[in-house]
Amino acid sequence: MNGPFIIFALLNVGFVLLISPLFMSLIKKVKARAQGRCGPGLFQTYYTIAKLLRKETVYSSASSWVMRVTPYVCLSMAVVAALFVPLLYVPEPVAGIGNVILFLYLLGIARFFMALSGLDAGSAFGGIGSSREMSLAAVIEPTSIVVLAALAVVARSLNFLEIARDSAGMLFPVSATMILIGVSLFIILIVETGRIPVDNPETHLELTMVHEAMVLEQSGRNLAMIEYAGAIKQTLLIAILVLVLMPFGLVTELSVAGVLFAMALFVVKGSVISVIIGLFESSMAKMRLFSLPNLFIIAFFFSVLTIFIEVFA
Amino acid sequence: MTDVSFVDGLVRFIFVAVLITAAFLLSTRSLPSLLRTYQLQSLLLAMLAVVFSFVEGSAVLLWIAILTVVSKVLVIPYFIGEIQERISIRRDLEFHYLAPASSILVSIALIIGVYLSLGNILSSAYAKVEPIFFIGAVIGISLMLMGMLVIFSRTKAITKVLGFLSMENGVLLFGICVTELPFIIEVMIMIDLIILILLTTILTVGIDSTIEAYNEKVRQYSLWTVREEDAP
Repeated sequence: MNGPFIIFALLNVGFVLLISPLFMSLIKKVKARAQGRCGPGLFQTYYTIAKLLRKETVYSSASSWVMRVTPYVCLSMAVVAALFVPLLYVPEPVAGIGNVILFLYLLGIARFFMALSGLDAGSAFGGIGSSREMSLAAVIEPTSIVVLAALAVVARSLNFLEIARDSAGMLFPVSATMILIGVSLFIILIVETGRIPVDNPETHLELTMVHEAMVLEQSGRNLAMIEYAGAIKQTLLIAILVLVLMPFGLVTELSVAGVLFAMALFVVKGSVISVIIGLFESSMAKMRLFSLPNLFIIAFFFSVLTIFIEVFA
Repeated sequence: MTDVSFVDGLVRFIFVAVLITAAFLLSTRSLPSLLRTYQLQSLLLAMLAVVFSFVEGSAVLLWIAILTVVSKVLVIPYFIGEIQERISIRRDLEFHYLAPASSILVSIALIIGVYLSLGNILSSAYAKVEPIFFIGAVIGISLMLMGMLVIFSRTKAITKVLGFLSMENGVLLFGICVTELPFIIEVMIMIDLIILILLTTILTVGIDSTIEAYNEKVRQYSLWTVREEDAP
């Protein structure tokens, strides 16, 4: 642990915590506009989280310690994962921080506990949600791994910090194949955050909800933490996409002006991707559960081909 | 254009994109987007020919690119678009033998199989000296096989035609990358294709049905009266 790395950790985590709810409401706003509604204000997610934090937490009488520990696990995993993806300033990588595979499985632990807590409350909906989430996860996981492996092969590194150091200051993606990886990463982003062709974040209809069914029994402060963790996860995936497609603006030397500039630039870049997500969600209908593998298989095919071309040609 | 790594990246991008369009031909259900996918595939091949012609400075490749754009991006899709205007269906939902997801997995296996077998046929020295051209040859043949997969895994005649056209694109890619075919042969292939498409335009009546129901449809209408009715 050296000085610059500690500064990076504080800066990155603080910035992620600060900005995550903003992108959440921005996507909601874009979707509302596309439907001809006015939509919530840009700070609505901050208000919602603040409101939930003041509310009382209610536990089902059937629930065990899993229910109580899940929000803390989810939020802490999200915060640790926030150390892995540089948003503003890129230090020298330290001891495994930034590892692509570790990043994926940090999110995996959060997902595992979420599914357990869905079962834990003893409600039928929670069980349905967990069962759906786990069967989706079993299909998504090979795809996510192969996509990140393709990223690692193209960037010649298994570490997000090294990838960022290599591409920092470049105006365009490192190579043209990065654009293809960007497409696969976008599909992963949609799937991991439970957005429309896969899951609808706004529905509470028992036939269609996946993620919402699992957190149905959570309340008060715990619900706030889970929502916050979801927002952080989304920001991190957006940040990876930004890293791959629009690497300009990251600073490798610490300076106040550079960091402030990077902050402003990241808000702009993240907003661009959020708007794209919102428009994408508005233009799609939710897919049937059984036709979802077609979506994953396209991302899988993209990445396998990219690896194939990079390795053999 | 002189930047080697830029050209290299561009060529790789085109290779992957071409195979992605082939995957979409295997799995897309809406006919208009199938047609656009084919158009895009041909455009990508034309781009590839332009890139190679700049790198190698050969004029023939440039002519092939122009020919491809004129025939496969403009004329043939125009005729198939006409067919689609005339028939009432917009989707091809049925699949024979293989669902889209499994046919894409099969095509990954095909690509790897082609890579291994072609590595044995073309001498390994060739694969080491010109890896990009070697991969181009592999992808050309894979594109042909994937076109074949489209022909047998999908039921509508119009999709089968698109599968055949995609096979021909595979031959073109193989030609661009490995053995420069004489220009006259390219022209003749193109004329063959255009005549094929014209014939299918005339046989429109049957094309909105599956192959099994085709004979019945052709008997049901007389070809020319149907054309006059539809073109006021």
